[in-house]
Formats: sequence, structure tokens, C-alpha cells
Amino acid sequence: MFLKLKRIALAVLAAGFALPASAQDASWDSVVAAAKKEGKVVVYNMALGAPYFTAVVKSFEKEYGIAVESLDLRASELVERIRTEQSAGRYLGDVEMVTTTMIEEQLKNGDFIQKLPPVPNAANLRPPFKATEHSVPAYVQPMGILINTRLVKGDDVPKSWNDLNSPKWKGKLLSDDMRPLGSGNTLFAVLQNNMGAEFNEKLAEQKPVFSRDMRNDARRVARGEYPIYITQVFAFASDLKGLPVKVIVPQEGAPYAQMDLAILKNASHANAARLFMQHFLNLDSQALYANAWMLPVVKGAAERADPDAQPYANARLMGMAKLSERPDMMSLAKKLYP
Amino acid sequence: MALSADDRIADIVTARSRLPHVRRFLNGAPASRVVGLTLLALVLAFLSVYPLSMLLYGSLHSTPPGVAGVFTLDGYRDIASQQNLLTLLNTVGIALAKTIPSLILAVLLAWILARTDTPFRGTLEVLVTLPFFIPPILTAMAWGMLGNPQVGLLNQLYQWITGSTASPINVYSYGGVVWHMMQYSVPFLFLLIVDAFRAMDPSLEEAARMCGATRLRTFYTVTLQLMLPALTGAAILSFIRGIENFESPLFFGSPAGIHVITTDIYDSINQRSPPQYQYATAISFVIMALMFLIILMQWRILRGRSFQTVTGKGYSPAVMKLGRWRWATFAFCALFFAVTVVLPVSQLLIGSFFKFFGFYEWEMLTLEHYQAVAGSSEFWRAFGNTMLLGLVGATLTMLLGGIVAYVSVRTKWRGRRLIDAMAWLPWMMPGIVLGVGFLWGFALLPHAIPIYGTIWALLLAYISLGTPLSVRVMSSAYGQLSYDLEECSRVHGAGWLQTMWRIMIALVWPSFAVGWVLIFFGIMRELSASVLLYSVGSEVLSVVLLKLWANGSAEQVSVIGLIMMAMVIVFRWVQLRVIKRWIGAL
Repeated sequence: MFLKLKRIALAVLAAGFALPASAQDASWDSVVAAAKKEGKVVVYNMALGAPYFTAVVKSFEKEYGIAVESLDLRASELVERIRTEQSAGRYLGDVEMVTTTMIEEQLKNGDFIQKLPPVPNAANLRPPFKATEHSVPAYVQPMGILINTRLVKGDDVPKSWNDLNSPKWKGKLLSDDMRPLGSGNTLFAVLQNNMGAEFNEKLAEQKPVFSRDMRNDARRVARGEYPIYITQVFAFASDLKGLPVKVIVPQEGAPYAQMDLAILKNASHANAARLFMQHFLNLDSQALYANAWMLPVVKGAAERADPDAQPYANARLMGMAKLSERPDMMSLAKKLYP
Repeated sequence: MALSADDRIADIVTARSRLPHVRRFLNGAPASRVVGLTLLALVLAFLSVYPLSMLLYGSLHSTPPGVAGVFTLDGYRDIASQQNLLTLLNTVGIALAKTIPSLILAVLLAWILARTDTPFRGTLEVLVTLPFFIPPILTAMAWGMLGNPQVGLLNQLYQWITGSTASPINVYSYGGVVWHMMQYSVPFLFLLIVDAFRAMDPSLEEAARMCGATRLRTFYTVTLQLMLPALTGAAILSFIRGIENFESPLFFGSPAGIHVITTDIYDSINQRSPPQYQYATAISFVIMALMFLIILMQWRILRGRSFQTVTGKGYSPAVMKLGRWRWATFAFCALFFAVTVVLPVSQLLIGSFFKFFGFYEWEMLTLEHYQAVAGSSEFWRAFGNTMLLGLVGATLTMLLGGIVAYVSVRTKWRGRRLIDAMAWLPWMMPGIVLGVGFLWGFALLPHAIPIYGTIWALLLAYISLGTPLSVRVMSSAYGQLSYDLEECSRVHGAGWLQTMWRIMIALVWPSFAVGWVLIFFGIMRELSASVLLYSVGSEVLSVVLLKLWANGSAEQVSVIGLIMMAMVIVFRWVQLRVIKRWIGAL
């Protein structure tokens, strides 16, 4: 009798768990069906045609038969285009992929994006990444130190951010400009918060040379113009295999920028937008990013990366810049680098 | 049968009466002229005043159009700072520093190639104009490798020859910024003035020589004076382009702490949070006002003077015999070509065959960049769109510029100054800001006007951006035509359209062709408006280049740059062949 009751209780319990899951599946199936009916999705992004992004788009089109229209612009142009279109009542975009701080800014300035409906793969995000009410993390772009392996050898190879302040590197450091908004200032802000004010003061005394052309700067280091570049986005060096350069992830960790996905207000293809987000967070898509030396945000993707990409896909993160601190950090950088 | 003078006059009168509507227009019947001028003014208002009014609103309002805010003068107030004064002085200084030597070099090249018997001058003419057509991002990349102080090839060559350890060349400096700008402004100025030199009646110079003037004095008192409208117009255009130049100070100025207004505007939109559109538009309007003053000065300087050199009298555009000196002039042109084209383009060409630009090792030799470009559907779609926009855009822009220039230069109609000024407006606004004006303007049009998000938006923006140049080119050409040609045609019974076609258009055609090429390649390179207005399916080459550059594909950018250069050579060769035939037929 007791055993019979136990069996019934277990069956009821199992049904209790199973029902919501199958209901969820059924509801997601209806999202997929609706997305296919919509037939296309317009993705506003700042990937500027990056091959890994294109690969994800192609795999989505192949799997679901839904056409992706990708409009990729530089950050400021993308934000202004969304703002202008929505002010004029033109709702042409469905989903955007931009930095976390840009989404914070959009929420502060208006209702450009809508609340995020459930995206099942968001449950697989690895710590510390979390979906918010409006967005879900897509991938992370960390920064490290790029060295010319012919000019920086043995004990000279920096292991800590503090090693950059060694007198031997005075006047020999190349960096993205730390004063305006961009990677340089992100690095400045994160190091200010994590390494202390003294670190940035000492770094300023090293008289780093500022440039504004990140892609070319890595090659300048490879050519030997400078031995070290201190604002190297990992992924921008992943296609330099064969050149005498190496990205160092300092022991304290890597400052980073996070890219998020959000659905734009009055999106005409809202179901397809959700499906695109779901697809972006699956293991295969995330592994594509991991192999390009980006940091994936879902569990299990970093482990699938190629061996040479492993150190970067699993890099220790230091922090990202905060929107609220931005004005102070920009004015401090201007003060230290007049 | 011989006709008497009275018969001939009667014939002319009869012929003229056959075209009453044209005659009415020609004679200035107010209704048709007013309708024509109003239409022209409306087109120009839509193309230039409308986007600029959006920007003016942006400069006076705390938020961009479409967002709740208040009217303030904060944008203009923020401009008044000591730092901005320094930036302004830097900008004007650099623009002057590049315009003056560029003008001298361009005049010298134009004189050599149009008025002397220098050998191979047809080929040289194509070659010296090439730098203008290379995307600035490519020459910046090439010069960054040739002239950087640490590992620059030119410095290494100097050190190898002299045994010194010094690096005399540093492109990351004021000199580097000016030099990079000059590579574009010399051929630009040359293209604008060379036809004025070519079309000049040499009898004026011969008269001066007959009266005992030396070659130098003849050049100074006759040649140069007659070229004044073309030279001042071109110099002002070049000066304004110097102020608006963005790539050179960004690549070579910013690393050396040299700031100019365009990099300041770029920072205020792209590098500040939130973007400071009010400040960016306000500072652009201040610059615009300054530039307008410069143009007013030009109008005052040239007012009431005649610069007509193409008259009804027959002449032969003879060339000056230089004797042995012709090889010196040849060497001068060849040197210019070698420094501005051979050096950077060799870098590009070599770079395009290696896996990584700037790393020349046998194992890195590859054709993969050519294969990647040839196999890219995005490139071919952008190529098709750009060709379509270039061909249609350049033709429409030159036609519009031709009409505006005709009204402005060849008539005394009321309102012609306003039309000329409206056509000038887009030139005086930095491209980064003007692109935003077009975005705001087209997006806020009623939804029933389907321009936003289509290829039409790009076409209209290109016409607007190119019109100032087309007007200047055509104005200089019209300014050189004597009124007696037009009057003579009319007296002999030709209608207005016939006169336009057989006399005016036939005589200014070489300038039209030069302007067309300049506008065509301007469209190919335009980025500021394109990147904001393009949509899925209407991508253009400049946007594809930006994407490739942003993704570190400098080698593919080089391949596309080389394709563009090959196109320039073909276009210029065809154009010069046609001009030569025209000269021969004159």
C-alpha cells in the first residue's frame, strides 16, 4: 500500500515537473512557427561584417529558413539611426546587438527597446553573466597586452598590468587614446577601479603614445615600431597568426566590453528576433565566437574552443566600464594626459 | 544666288520667329523664367537648405529633431573656449599650409602639361592626377609605413646612405598631416585649373611678349591674371576641403597631439557619451559662417572684372617650346608622380600579394586577397550600386551644376546670387555633420515620400554633396566664354536650346567631363553620408571598405583601392582622348 502510494506520489511529482516543460516546449514551438511565418529578421549590429557574425547569421538562415537582414554600423551611428528612425515613427529594426552601456543609455534616454520575452537558452548563461529585464548577454570582448615577441623576451614579458610601469618601457608603449570614449577609456576606467589611482598616474608618467586606429596598431607592434600595445582586443589579434606578436592576459585579469542582444520597440518580426537571440546563445554559435578569441557567455562553449583559443575564451575577467562613471573617468584621463 | 544684307536680316528674323517659346524664355518673359528659377530654387532648397535646417535646429535645441527638449544656445556657448581657439588656429594654419604649396605645384603642373611641349605630357597628365583617386585610408596606411620614425623605409634608407642613426622623417607631425593632405589637393587643384590653362587664347600672351615683357612677367601679368577666377575658386575649394579634412589629422595628427576642428567634431559625436550633436552642429555652423565670409571676399575681389579668354576669334591653343628645358619639366612631373603615387602604391600593390600588409616573406606570398574580393557577393553588389549611383549621380550633379552656373555666371537674372549661394551651402559643412543632417532630413519626411532607407536617399545626398564642386567647375568654364559667342549664335537665328547645345555645352564640355570624373570618384569615396543612409541591399563600396578596414582586412582594402585606381586610369585615358579630339576639331 505504502509502495503504491509512493509510486503515485512520484508519478504526480514527475507530471508536475514535466507539464510546465512540455508547455514551455509547446509555447516555444509556437514562437518558432510564428518566426518562420514572419520570414525575416532585421538585425542592427556593430559587427561591421565580422566573419564570425556572418557565420552565425548563415547558420540561422540555414536552420530556420528565415532571412536575416544585417545592418551593421559604427556604435554612435547605430544609436543615432535607431533614435532618428523611432522618432520619425519608422520601426525598421527588430533586434540590436550593442554594448551593455549603450543599452543602459538607451533605457535612460527613452523607450527604444522593449522588455525581453523568455529566451530558453538564456538559462544556460555562465556566471557572472545574467539576462536583464531588457537584454541578454551575447558575447564578451576582453582586452589584454600585445607584445612583439622579437622585442620583448624572457623576463621582460609583462605578467601583470603593473609591469607596464617599469622604467624600461618609458616612451615605448602604444595605446588606444584613453581620453575619448572607446577602448582606451574603458581600459583606463577598469584599471583605475581595480589597480588603484596610483597605477594610472604611473602609467601616465610612462608617456604612452596614443593612436586611434586599433586594427593598424597591432600591426605597428608586429612591425616593431613599438614593442607593446596596451589596449589589445584579443579577437583583433586572432587573425595575425604567423606574425611575431602575442596577446598576454595579465594575472589580474582582462578589462572587457560586453555585447548584449535586445528587441527594438515595435519590432515587426518580434518572434524571429527572439529566435535569433536563442540561436545566438546556442553552443555552436558561441563556439564560433570562442574560436575568434571572444569570450562566450554560455556554459560549455569555452571548452569547445580550439586549443589556441582556450586561454582567451577562458580568460579571467577584471571588469567593465560603468555608464555612471563615464564622465568622471573621461575628465580624469584628460587631466592625466593633457 | 547672292543675298543682300536686308535679305539676310529678314532670314534671321524669320528663323527666330519659328521658335517663339524659346525666344520668349530667351528674351526673359517673366512667367517662364520665374517658374524655371523657382523650380531650380526648390530643388536646391530640398538638397541643401532642408538638411542644413535640420542641423541648424539641432544646434539651437538641447536634443536632436524628434526628441522633446528646449531651445538653448548652449552649443554655441560651449564653443567659446581657449582650447577651441587653439584648435581653430591649428585647423586654419594646416589648411593654409597645404593650400599655398599645393596651388603653386598645381599651377606649375598645369602650365607644364597644358602649355608647354614637355614630352609624354598626355600620359603624365593621367599619372599626376592619380593620387586624388586613391582612398585616403590607403595612402595613410602606406605613409605610416614609409615615414614612421621608428621603422619607416625612408628613414632606414637615409640611415643606410648616411650611416647616421637619426630619423629625419616623421609622418606623425604637422608636416605629416600637411603632406598627406597635399597629395590630394595638388591633383584636385590641377584638375580644376588645367582646362582653364588649356582653353586660354595664347595671343594674349604673345601680345605681352611682343610688347617686350619677359616670360616671367608675361606669366605673372597675363597668364596668372587671366586664370584668377579659376585659381581663386579652386584655391578656396581646396582651403575649405583642408578645413574639412578628417583622415589626415586623424591618422597623423592625433598621435602627435595635433587637434583640428573635424577631429573635435568627430570626438563630440563618436567619442562622447551621449553624443554632443548640439555642440557638433553649432561649431559646424560657426565654421560655415567663416567660410561664407571667405567666399564673399572672393566675389568682391573678382566683381566687375572680365576673364574671358575664349572668344569668337579663331585661335590655336599652341604650346610653348621649351627646348632642352622640356626634359627638366618632364623630370619634375615624373618626380611628383614617383613620390605621390609610385611610393605609396607600390606599398599597396606589394602588400596586396602578401598574407599581411607590410610583412614581406616568401612563405606569405598569396593571391587569397584577390580571390576573397572576387568571390565576395557583397563587394559585387556594392560595386554595382556604386557604379549606378556614380554614373547617374555624377551626370545629374553636373547637369544641375551646369544650370546653376549658367544662371549665376551668364545671366543678370534676379535671384541668381541666392541660387549660387544655396548650391554652395553643403560644401561648407563638414561631411561628418552633413551626413547626420541628411539622416534627420530624410527620416523625418512624410512616410508617403519613400526616400528613407532606399537608394534614392544616397543619390540625393550625393547630388547635394557634389553640386558645389560642379557649380565651381562649370562657373570657371562659363566665366571664360565671351558673351559675343552666345550673342552671335542668337543673332544668326539659333534658338536658346540650340545655342546652349552648339556653343555653350560644346565649349565647356571638357570642364564638364573633368567635373564629372571628380564627382564620380567623389561618390565612390563618400563615406560620412553613405554609412548613415545606406540600407540592406543598397551598400556602396565606401561602406564595404569601412567594414573590411574595421575587420582588419587591410589587404582586401588595398585590392579594392587598386581596382579603383585601374578604373581611374581607364576613365582619364578615355576622357583625355575625347578632349584631344575636341581640341583638334576646334
